[in-house]
Amino acid sequence: MTPMLRAEHVSKAFVLHNQDAAVLPVLADVGFTVHAGEAVVLAGPSGTGKSTLLRILYGNYRPSTGHVHVSHDGRMVDIVTADPRQVLEVRRRTLGYVSQFLRVIPRVSTLDIVRDPMLGRGVADGVATRRARDMLARLNLPERLWTLPPATFSGGEQQRVNIARSFVDTTPILLLDEPTASLDAANRDVVVELVADARARGAAVVGIFHDEAVRDRIATRRLDLTTFKAAA
Amino acid sequence: MSPAPLSLPPALEPLLTVDGIERMYGDRVGCRDVSFRLWPGEVLGIVGESGSGKSTLLRCLSGIDVPTAGQVRFRLDRELVDIFSIPEPTRRSLMRTAWGIVHQNPRDGLRMDVSAGGNVGERLMDRGDRHYGRIRGSALDWLERVEIAGERIDDRPRQFSGGMQQRLQIARVLVSQPRLVFMDEPTGGLDVSVQAKLLDLLRVLVRDLGIAAVIVTHDLAVARLLTDRLMVMKDGHVVEQGLTDQVLDDPHHAYTQLLASAVLSA
Repeated sequence: MTPMLRAEHVSKAFVLHNQDAAVLPVLADVGFTVHAGEAVVLAGPSGTGKSTLLRILYGNYRPSTGHVHVSHDGRMVDIVTADPRQVLEVRRRTLGYVSQFLRVIPRVSTLDIVRDPMLGRGVADGVATRRARDMLARLNLPERLWTLPPATFSGGEQQRVNIARSFVDTTPILLLDEPTASLDAANRDVVVELVADARARGAAVVGIFHDEAVRDRIATRRLDLTTFKAAA
Repeated sequence: MSPAPLSLPPALEPLLTVDGIERMYGDRVGCRDVSFRLWPGEVLGIVGESGSGKSTLLRCLSGIDVPTAGQVRFRLDRELVDIFSIPEPTRRSLMRTAWGIVHQNPRDGLRMDVSAGGNVGERLMDRGDRHYGRIRGSALDWLERVEIAGERIDDRPRQFSGGMQQRLQIARVLVSQPRLVFMDEPTGGLDVSVQAKLLDLLRVLVRDLGIAAVIVTHDLAVARLLTDRLMVMKDGHVVEQGLTDQVLDDPHHAYTQLLASAVLSA
């Protein structure tokens, strides 16, 4: 089995300087490895640091201690110590993060939002367009919306645009933060299929899923964060 | 197994290196002890409140103002040259061709008594282009790219709205295909709807042309949309820097935490 992501001794405490330097310990000494084709689902009640851990794996939060090694171009890169442009390069081609929220860019059409990551990876224009259209159709987004910027779409529609953008050309490592929240059953099923497809192609998945049924369908393994919870 | 060190593509060298920049005004600190590297295609944001020294720093980086200490070196023909030790005319020519400056106030970057086409075409002539038809063609192409109707090519900038003047200034800067662009509050003073249009235009142009940019802004949303990396300044010093989303979502310095928590989300 090929290790794709390895977290070592990851701890995180937030220091709130403007609230008398209050310290909020969230994670202590978390360690695990995810291999190609695996889907590790983070478990534990809310407040156990699932989202915090996922953001640390993506390089969005800086851990207080520890390292996160990800397999990029056949070698392991520590996302914690890599410089910003290395992190961006790893994210561009290797490490994808999917939340339930779409960051809307003013004036950019839905189709362009979905095409954008592929164009950034050098996929030909025509191919990117075709794949973007196929993915939007698969997620049941009405075609009349494709040329419009999603700023005025409903929450569920924006979420499907975000899913399309994230799954149209999946990265070898996928970090999923509740991507199915507030989707209807049919679209939830599509997301479960998309994750399975990505795994079949060898992607390593780490995710948070509130919905018990979705979690059971996606997970190959559970990681209970309460066992790592920092002492308050 | 211990992780192998990451080897970077060998051709990639920094475009701009900045070491220990200081600008004093008598006893008062404008900015002090600023160092960083900027790589081709990278967009760096400098944020901080008024008086934090961000505009002073930008003036030093772009060669408008001379720092009281430190070095700014720019890659010219495979070699890093200290922009303050080269002769003045060389620096002036560099400022017009290899890099560009987008001023907060378009009047500072445009020639108000010259037509829109002339403003854009002048840069090509600076670069040595002498073919009138080709210059006018390029000017038309660039007006279109910044969404100014071609029929306005002979109008003076003073007949344009603030948003159009700003877009014209951007066309004037980008037409000479600079490798590095400095921008001081590029959306300051514009209506929100005009800002959105301009931001998207800048985002696409910077991405498609692969130019590096240093953008000074007090608007964290602008920084998030346009920049890869962020430096936070306070009282003339850099208090925090890193990946833009990291600095904004997990700020470590007291001042950055204050700044990030003060943003109203629409």
